[in-house]
Amino acid sequence: MPKRTKLETGVDWIELSTTDSDWQAADPDLLGTMLAELHLIRAFEETVLELAGEGLVHGPAHSSIGQEGGAVGSIVGLRSSDGVNGSHRGHHQFLAKALTHVSGGVIDPANAVDAATQEVLQRTLAEILGLAQGYCRGRGGSMHLQWFEAGALGTNAIVGGGAPLAAGNAWAQKHSASSSRHDESSDLTINYFGDGAAQIGSVLESLNLAAAWKLPVAYFIENNLYAVSTRADEVTADTRFSVRGQGFGVPSWRVDGMDPLAVHLATEEAAALMRAGGGPTVIEAEVYRFFHQNGSFPGSAFGYRTKDEEAEWGARDPLQLVARKMVERGLIDDAGVAALREEAQRAMKDASAELVEVDPDRPGKRRIKPGLWPSPDFVNVGVRGDASELEGLPSAPDADVATRPIKFVDAIAQLMDRRMELDPRIVVMGEDVHRLNGGTNGATKGLVQKYGEGRVLGTPISENAFMGLAGGLALDGRYRPVVEFMYPDFMWVAADQVFNQVGKARHMFGGDNPVPLVLRTKVAIGSGYGSQHLMDPAGIFATSPGWRIVAPSNAADYVGLMNAALALEDPVLVIEHVDLYGVADEVPEGDLDYVIPPGSAAVRREGSEVTVISYLSMVKHALEAIDLTGVDGELIDLRWLDRASIDWDTIGASIQKTNAVLIVEQGAQGTSYGAWLADEIQRRYFDWLDQPVARVTGEEASPSISKVLERAAIARTEEVVAGLEAVRAGFGG
Amino acid sequence: MAEIIRMPEVLAGTAEAAVQTWNVGMGDVLAQGAKLAEIETEKAVVEYIAETSGTVGRLLVAEGQNVAVGEPIVVLVAEGEGDAEIDAALAAAGVTVSPAPGAAATASPTAPEVPVPAPVSVVAPVRRFVSPLVRRLAQESDVDLGSLTGSGPHGRIVRRDLEKYLELRAAELSRSAQEAAMPSPAAPLDPVVSASGDNVGYVDVPLDRMRKAIANRLTLSKSTVPHFYLTADCRVDELLALRARVNETAVRRVSVNDFVLKAAAAALVEVPEANSIWNTDSIRRFDRVDIAVAVAVDGGLTTPVLRDVARTPLSEVSASVADLAERARAGKLRQHELEGGSFAVSNLGMYGTASFSAILNPPQAGILAVGAAQKRPVVDAEDVLSVATVMTVTLSADHRVLDGAVAAQWLAAFQRRIENPLSILI
Repeated sequence: MPKRTKLETGVDWIELSTTDSDWQAADPDLLGTMLAELHLIRAFEETVLELAGEGLVHGPAHSSIGQEGGAVGSIVGLRSSDGVNGSHRGHHQFLAKALTHVSGGVIDPANAVDAATQEVLQRTLAEILGLAQGYCRGRGGSMHLQWFEAGALGTNAIVGGGAPLAAGNAWAQKHSASSSRHDESSDLTINYFGDGAAQIGSVLESLNLAAAWKLPVAYFIENNLYAVSTRADEVTADTRFSVRGQGFGVPSWRVDGMDPLAVHLATEEAAALMRAGGGPTVIEAEVYRFFHQNGSFPGSAFGYRTKDEEAEWGARDPLQLVARKMVERGLIDDAGVAALREEAQRAMKDASAELVEVDPDRPGKRRIKPGLWPSPDFVNVGVRGDASELEGLPSAPDADVATRPIKFVDAIAQLMDRRMELDPRIVVMGEDVHRLNGGTNGATKGLVQKYGEGRVLGTPISENAFMGLAGGLALDGRYRPVVEFMYPDFMWVAADQVFNQVGKARHMFGGDNPVPLVLRTKVAIGSGYGSQHLMDPAGIFATSPGWRIVAPSNAADYVGLMNAALALEDPVLVIEHVDLYGVADEVPEGDLDYVIPPGSAAVRREGSEVTVISYLSMVKHALEAIDLTGVDGELIDLRWLDRASIDWDTIGASIQKTNAVLIVEQGAQGTSYGAWLADEIQRRYFDWLDQPVARVTGEEASPSISKVLERAAIARTEEVVAGLEAVRAGFGG
Repeated sequence: MAEIIRMPEVLAGTAEAAVQTWNVGMGDVLAQGAKLAEIETEKAVVEYIAETSGTVGRLLVAEGQNVAVGEPIVVLVAEGEGDAEIDAALAAAGVTVSPAPGAAATASPTAPEVPVPAPVSVVAPVRRFVSPLVRRLAQESDVDLGSLTGSGPHGRIVRRDLEKYLELRAAELSRSAQEAAMPSPAAPLDPVVSASGDNVGYVDVPLDRMRKAIANRLTLSKSTVPHFYLTADCRVDELLALRARVNETAVRRVSVNDFVLKAAAAALVEVPEANSIWNTDSIRRFDRVDIAVAVAVDGGLTTPVLRDVARTPLSEVSASVADLAERARAGKLRQHELEGGSFAVSNLGMYGTASFSAILNPPQAGILAVGAAQKRPVVDAEDVLSVATVMTVTLSADHRVLDGAVAAQWLAAFQRRIENPLSILI
């Protein structure tokens, strides 16, 4: 008979509900502010549905009508420097945060709308309509609402996508606490998501990471019982979603979301814990959306819930509850409530009138005022920054400057040491970067000893979470995260955060808020790690918006390129290669402070017969192949690979000289880098080409573990030789 | 049962051949022993006789298309058989290419699998592969790409081909320009006079562009074009007499060379195979006779082209040659007057040269080197020794275009004309 002991998590999981005495004790200003915010949000959402019904909202209008209590109750007590982010259904949270910010946290229900409030309503509506005066210049629309000044970090159309970003914001808040303009207590972040997101990986990874690092972030589950039309009990065993906290050691509260005061009280308790350094919390608020997922029809119209159920929840409308309790206490009367309702509706009517007008071509219909749309030429503005932040930084020393010998990988560690010493914002994170004497390859050697585990963070094996955390840190702006992916293929695990969030954030939210982040990874082709570790990520990143890419072929370049990456306000992928780590290389004497800016390709060999374009370790192979064949190739080492940073001047001048191009890379065909480049070259230089753009890549297959098959799958010197011979035949040589 | 007929091995060791002409069309009923096609190899054109009877179900190759020996070229079907049987037979034979029925025969553009050249004519409008760079540069430089030969894959004209061409053209143009600017004896480039220690002096005359062009072009020709030579002694007593009579009444004097040009043109009409040039993946045969005339100018030579010589009267030929020569020496020739021609004549007779052989000027496939008309002892058919006026001519021919027999036919035709000069006047 085994001994069996029942284990406990020892973590609080509290169901909180209000009593009459709570309502009696509640600050009249708090209740009045909540009532005003509830009414303003309700009137706002009604206006959105009205405009959507007229076809004036492009895309979905996810109404929060019925769910206002959760947002208002949890946000009304927050500081402006506290952050919130949310999901596709985020109008109410955004408005609650913005209204609380502009009002200083107190709104008089008898005089709820002032100029600042009116502006919030109009600009938010303008954003949802996709107009230039919106908070994100019309780019974000209903699902991407961001206003940093108010602490609205950005709502998110990817289910669970905001959870890691919120953790990043909280990391910045925790580590900046002592310098915050408040007291010693930390600011905090609330990430809102629905019951449908409560089991997605990024949320669970983030819960774990936030708990491990004790970050002041609340994961606020708006449990409205339905993921679109799928009932909660169909997708999870315990429909009390706050149970998640038990698995990650996170204190959790469960509360009636139709009771804004209950939500407020639960949030106050959670906030006290978070601000005091107690780590993350979970708050689950049970709410009900009165309409379907989007649009102005009730869910019962789609058959997944009953009219009786809707009537039952409708009777628990948070607007009515707060009004009733305030009337009971004599804080307002029915006429005052009706006046508030009218004021809110009038404010929205005014806001609409600024944005839409009678359509002269369709009597009885309205249209967007034509002058309010963003200009079409705004389409690409702000995909990245303009790199002007690099101006004035030291440029690379002349070629004849004295050098000192150094192993390539040691140059990485020494450079990071130099930067971390001078720039306290830099934080390094990744798997094992704090151990093994500099991570798995030695690139972070000595850093943790010097800067401690507060700046050299060994992460859980949760690429999506720590990539997103870094993204949140970057968006906050007070820190410069340097993330390491042990192998590039892991980007697929973190794909949402890498491409949907970090890559798109700046542009999607209007183009102004930068995302300074460095992602380091190493191409390990040739190391025998097989199909799931041996990709070259350049092609995928080059075809994804927002990212800049560097791929140094030598240590001296690494210094200049990494310095540029760390100084830039954009996300930059720094690609390394295992073949280069051990190379006995050299860097210039003196401080490693110089910068090699975007648009700085290097001509490694001048030639007349073909322009050979390569990067990273293949530069050396290309040089060998040129020597072996005797083809007079001009070898360009790209250094910067992305669309915005590539050096067209150098490439163009060379092509106009040689009239032939060979793009050389090592990895598999499918995700290869050269495909987009070849396309761009043939369009830019068609009339300068004497033969088709030629390419050297690996095979279709991902490299296998078997040494022979791995070699067969990749390109090295021999493949470049074959490529050069093909080009030679092409020019009639 | 559909029967596949394959490209025969016409000669031992022949790897590929082309159907020069189909003698049958789709649906034709073919008896055993009937003429199916003319098969052309590098060496011969042979008639291909059907070994079985049947109905022509599908022609698999277009006229002029080179295919490997053993490749299916036509499918014969029995009564009542159609595409299904043809496809089955081809599939059974492992043939993947199956053009739409009749595609090859009708040269329909809807048969993508088999490239069908346009109907063969003397100047076939063949698709010329040209790199984008060359296409642009050719337009900018006003170059007719038809006069270039491609050295890239699939005969693509690439930058190097154009550069070679432009270099030559530039040399010719610069010479013309130079002469136009300096009608008096061209100011020589300053020679570099040097003397070594032991007083063996020399002069390095710098190369002007014409000299470079001549050097490049003729080196290229002599080293890459397979020349062969045929010589004939032509008796020209009658020619000289006729010329004297013509000149008695002529407004302008007709030269022996004018007769030579007319005789050469007539011979090219008589032996049309000789009126051809090498075109890399084809032989281009002309239906008009354009002949280049070598004209010595200060510092070199140039070769203006006389058009349609066969149909131009002698007097007009004479006038044209005089005009071209005069303008050549004055540097006033225009570019188009220097382009084209399948044949050339070079005459050094006026210098007393007895005989010589000339280097071909590509793409022309023949050049006739004409020596001086001299009195020589001759032995006639009756073994009687006498004195006659004899002019030795030597034909240099491009063996890629002309074989020995054709060249000999041409030379015989020429000799017949030149020795019976009245035929030239007719």
